[in-house]
Amino acid sequence: MSYITIDDSKCKSCYLCIDVCPKNLIKKSTHTGKTGECIVEFSDSNNQCIACKQCAMVCPDIAITNVYKE
Amino acid sequence: MQVYTKPKSIKENSSFTFCSGCDHGLVIKLVAEVIDELNLQENTIAVASSGCSVFLYDFLDVDCIESPHGRACAVATGIKRATKANKNEKFVFTYQGDGDFASIGLGESLHSALRGENITVICINNTNYGMTGGQLGPTTAMGQITTTSPTGRNRAYHGFPIKAAEHIALCDGTAYSARVGVYNIKNIINAKNAIKKAFECQIKGLGYSFVEVLSSCPTNWRLSPSDSHRKIETELTQIYPIKVFKDITND
Amino acid sequence: MNQKELLKGNIAIAKAAVKCGCSCYFGYPITPQSEIGEYLSAAMQERELGYVCAESEIGAINMAIGASSTGAKVLVSSSSCAISLMQEALSYAASDELPIVLVNVMRAGPGQGYIYPSQGDYNQTTVGGGNGDYKIISLAPSNVQECIEMTYKCFYLSQKYRNPVILLLDGLLGQMAESVELAENTYPEIDNSSWVLSGAHNRPSREIHSLEPNQDKLNRHILDLNNKYKKIEEEVTDWEEYMCEDAEYIITAFGSLSRHGKAVCKYFREKGLKFGLFRPKTLYPFPYKRLNELSKNLKGIIDIEMNLGQMLKDIRLAVLSNTKISFVGKPVGDWLKRDELIYAIENVIKEDYASIH
Repeated sequence: MSYITIDDSKCKSCYLCIDVCPKNLIKKSTHTGKTGECIVEFSDSNNQCIACKQCAMVCPDIAITNVYKE
Repeated sequence: MQVYTKPKSIKENSSFTFCSGCDHGLVIKLVAEVIDELNLQENTIAVASSGCSVFLYDFLDVDCIESPHGRACAVATGIKRATKANKNEKFVFTYQGDGDFASIGLGESLHSALRGENITVICINNTNYGMTGGQLGPTTAMGQITTTSPTGRNRAYHGFPIKAAEHIALCDGTAYSARVGVYNIKNIINAKNAIKKAFECQIKGLGYSFVEVLSSCPTNWRLSPSDSHRKIETELTQIYPIKVFKDITND
Repeated sequence: MNQKELLKGNIAIAKAAVKCGCSCYFGYPITPQSEIGEYLSAAMQERELGYVCAESEIGAINMAIGASSTGAKVLVSSSSCAISLMQEALSYAASDELPIVLVNVMRAGPGQGYIYPSQGDYNQTTVGGGNGDYKIISLAPSNVQECIEMTYKCFYLSQKYRNPVILLLDGLLGQMAESVELAENTYPEIDNSSWVLSGAHNRPSREIHSLEPNQDKLNRHILDLNNKYKKIEEEVTDWEEYMCEDAEYIITAFGSLSRHGKAVCKYFREKGLKFGLFRPKTLYPFPYKRLNELSKNLKGIIDIEMNLGQMLKDIRLAVLSNTKISFVGKPVGDWLKRDELIYAIENVIKEDYASIH
């Protein structure tokens, strides 16, 4: 099972990661972050994450730095 | 197995203070990755400049000095010459905005390229003065609306923008000059490769190396981060082509 | 002991800089100081040291900022109107606490003026044209031998106090050749390993910056600088007293003009008037305290300058109402001659005129 972790304290709600995820596994959460906007969350109930790292590469706030591949 | 991790050269527990979706963070991350890959962290002196780029030293875990507005290339020249004179040559790069590099500091920038100073310049081109609220800068595109070009940049009032990477490529002292973007994954990878190439030029002692990064400024462009990247891809790359303009390692 | 040699002020400064370990020079040509850059272009290249014919004085002083941040001993030289261009960087260097030695061989101004002798940059040097609460140490030699000694001292003080230092002389002294001895530099080396940028090897990374968005930290930084300046004022202030012990009148002058002042003192002494001369060797810090003490028992002070009274305000601050202060000066042109000075001073001290003749 591949997965990523998101640092909620660093997410600035730019949503660039949502745009790039090829499996649409990242979406807006109901929690607000440091900018007052909803931060993102990763949910992958069907084990679709392929650890492609695109979300981490595009994140301008090093909120996504941990990508694990199994 | 962890396949992606925070670059070692980004300070622990640091958070970028840039606006949401700003490409500065992305580029600093790429620079840090290249510093790690080339094992330069302990041998680097970075030069930050005025504007949003000044905060480099808050995030990058290398020795760093802030330069007066526009003078980053002169400060870098001094560092390079001094460390060389004292037989302890350092890897030196500047991190500047387009206003810093190509407007107030054009004299220092161009002359350091003409002298072929063995330094690297990373120039963030976001087509406006971001930190002060989005005024017209040297790279503001024709027709672009800013707080000081309320009806759009026009020839009669504002004149034309500068294409930095093309100009720098014309200097005999330049080893490498490229324009890159970070508006999609493919270009992020290319941008990192260009930064790496530029750094390697300095390591080999080939002369001045320059990477202009087309970057977004969502706050001042009044666009979402996604739309900002789309604007770069569809509009700005037409004016500022993504291209390697000079690479003497290919000659 | 070294042999005596005939050296111009400019060349003497350049040679002294090399002798005390200056490893980088950055400059842009301007009369009357170009010989410094000319001499060093060869001397530095020979020794494989740092030398750049900068694109401008702005470039030169900023290169000095970079070089200084790595711990190198840096020299920059220029003149008046071009020193104006460096004021921004001097403010940065003072805030960053970077040791830079800047030589200003003065020409007449304002604006481009011309290359005539002048002391018109006293204000620019001591008050400065950069922004914020900062101070630049400044030394003013009166002869070529002192140019050498003070160049050594400038490097030492800049390293010791981590502050820019200006060596201020007029074009006359820069161009004038005198028989001098290029003595050894006896100042100790200062350990700078605790702050210089050298790559974060086996230590945490370092930052040098003046930007500070945190109000409390910025306040602290400026107050720390100010405490340093107070220390400089206590430890660095220097002056020369010439026949001041029993003086009734004291001439105040700085730089090479003070030599005419001495000749004038001799003249009046021969006429039975007790004249002395007080010369600040450091313009910042200015010897307020000593001049105040001396002024208590005087009939008058006559300040002479090759400008329209720039040091005069510091004389007034020092003397307060202790005695009468007069001014004799000329902004530009041929150096004030001994006889001109005597004539002007005789007018100033009319009440004693009868006793002279």
